[in-house]
Amino acid sequence: MTTSTTPSKRGKRYTPDSHSFPTRPYDLFKEMVIAGVILLLLALALAAGFGSLDEKAITLQDWAKAAPFDVVATATGELAGTTSSAGYGPPYNNASDGQKLGPLSLQKWGGVRIPVDSAQDLVLTPLESGAPDAATKDALAAWKAAAADQQTAWATAYGDALAATPDGDPTTVAKGDYGPVPVMASSFLTLANSGGLEQLISPNSYGGDRTKQLLLLSDGSYLEDQARARSLGGDQWGMMNEAGNYPGQVWLGMMTFWYQIPALGGSDNGDALVWGATVIIVLAFLFLPFLPGLRAIPEKIPVYKLVWRDYYRRQKNKK
Amino acid sequence: MAGTHILAEGAGNYLNFGIFHISVTNALIMGAMIVMFILAVVIPFPHHDADDEGSR
Amino acid sequence: MSAREDTAAEVVSPSRTSWTAWARYRITHTVPEGQWLPDRQPAYVASWIYVFGMATLVSLFIVIGSGVVLAIGGSEWWHTSNVGHYVNSVHLWSVEIFFAVMAIHLWGKFWMAAWRGGRALTWMTGMVALLAAVGTGFTGYLSQTNFDSQWIGAQAKDGLNSVGLGAWFNALNPAAALTLHIVVLPLAVGVIVIMHIILVRRHGVVPPIGAEEPTP
Repeated sequence: MTTSTTPSKRGKRYTPDSHSFPTRPYDLFKEMVIAGVILLLLALALAAGFGSLDEKAITLQDWAKAAPFDVVATATGELAGTTSSAGYGPPYNNASDGQKLGPLSLQKWGGVRIPVDSAQDLVLTPLESGAPDAATKDALAAWKAAAADQQTAWATAYGDALAATPDGDPTTVAKGDYGPVPVMASSFLTLANSGGLEQLISPNSYGGDRTKQLLLLSDGSYLEDQARARSLGGDQWGMMNEAGNYPGQVWLGMMTFWYQIPALGGSDNGDALVWGATVIIVLAFLFLPFLPGLRAIPEKIPVYKLVWRDYYRRQKNKK
Repeated sequence: MAGTHILAEGAGNYLNFGIFHISVTNALIMGAMIVMFILAVVIPFPHHDADDEGSR
Repeated sequence: MSAREDTAAEVVSPSRTSWTAWARYRITHTVPEGQWLPDRQPAYVASWIYVFGMATLVSLFIVIGSGVVLAIGGSEWWHTSNVGHYVNSVHLWSVEIFFAVMAIHLWGKFWMAAWRGGRALTWMTGMVALLAAVGTGFTGYLSQTNFDSQWIGAQAKDGLNSVGLGAWFNALNPAAALTLHIVVLPLAVGVIVIMHIILVRRHGVVPPIGAEEPTP
């Protein structure tokens, strides 16, 4: 039965009820099964052909073996309070207020809910509980006996001295007043090399929480060096990438894009600004049906005429 | 196995233009998606006019 | 009245006293009669672009199915088992397929302005499903227990911490990421997808732009 149409009396924006239109048979379950078979075979074939990447996690021992000077510098930095985690702010500590999104101190409002004392948790506790030798015991005692200002002065001086050497080698450090820090940092490296550091840092060695190990590793430069070599850095579109030629996360493109703009990616509040930009895009997508201008784009650029060309041709023939 | 697995991968192949630094794999995926969209909209969908009936 | 006569009594308006009768009314009137699983569809639905909604749903089933196999093996199974590694590869590629077909489905719905005719909520639940899926994918990457998850966690924590979310979700805790990935977020995605599909069945497929009311 053919039908003609009458002009709508309810205005240009009225969309008729879809259930009043002529229909034809269509088998949804058949469509589901056919699509299922095709897509399953595609997934199985892609998996067989290209596989997936599995690079082993970097242990603290791996780090010590591959980049011992980085370990020494990082341990020194934890004691000096100059590492990323030491000065992070919430959720780990109150060393800073953290990032702001315009006037909003969102990072601070989150609160210190994952407390980490970088010097104590990441360096001193493992050294103390790791069966320290006599020299280390003496060094720890000297550290504990000193005032906080003295501790900071020693560790900062040693950190600066390490940075002044050609490649961070502790044996080439200039003479200076570093207190017990060189011995502590050296013992820390020995502990890391032995493989015991991983266990001594973690409060629950049987659980899965790796916060402290990862904060320590991230405080060094080795982890980031490995990532940047694989083009996974934030300013390398890293959020979207995978190492090698493996597929990445294309769907994160609209967020990682903002990190590539120096004004955002290089800003002290960069992460918060990127979140802000992404939220604006997400809200625009979410509320698109209500946004004049944006919601009119499909009518202005008539891709729909291709989709429904069959329908429009029939309507034209009827008239 | 410690130590032997690190640096197993480097960066893959990339396309660079302006601030864009897109992996070849990702670019191929995006290209395939655009091609699929165009084909989906352009290729005729099979149906028989005789099936059409009034609404139910 | 017999039990059969009783429960079959047609509820013509939402009950004011019985919560059960009220729920029965709401559920049975959510979708027009015969439209829960129709075997006919409007004649204007005649384009390959329409298969991408079903493709998204079906690829989601494949993602979940391969995920269930990985869950049975445990989070570290795939590191040492060849079969486990292959299942992980299937999971990865089915996720890539899922996001690809979902994006094409979104493009199609955009160019058809499919939010017309009271379908704004359909569009919005679709967007929320996409966001939930991105979150699910993110926790999946954190659960890999390998170098990739270490780096992603180390990076993502800065983003999450900067807006205060990191205080509530610890990107450096793979055990927490895993439970979010296999329980909480799939449930959220599932509920949102079901709402989305119910809305599609309720309103029907959007008529063409400029279509006029057919006369009987």
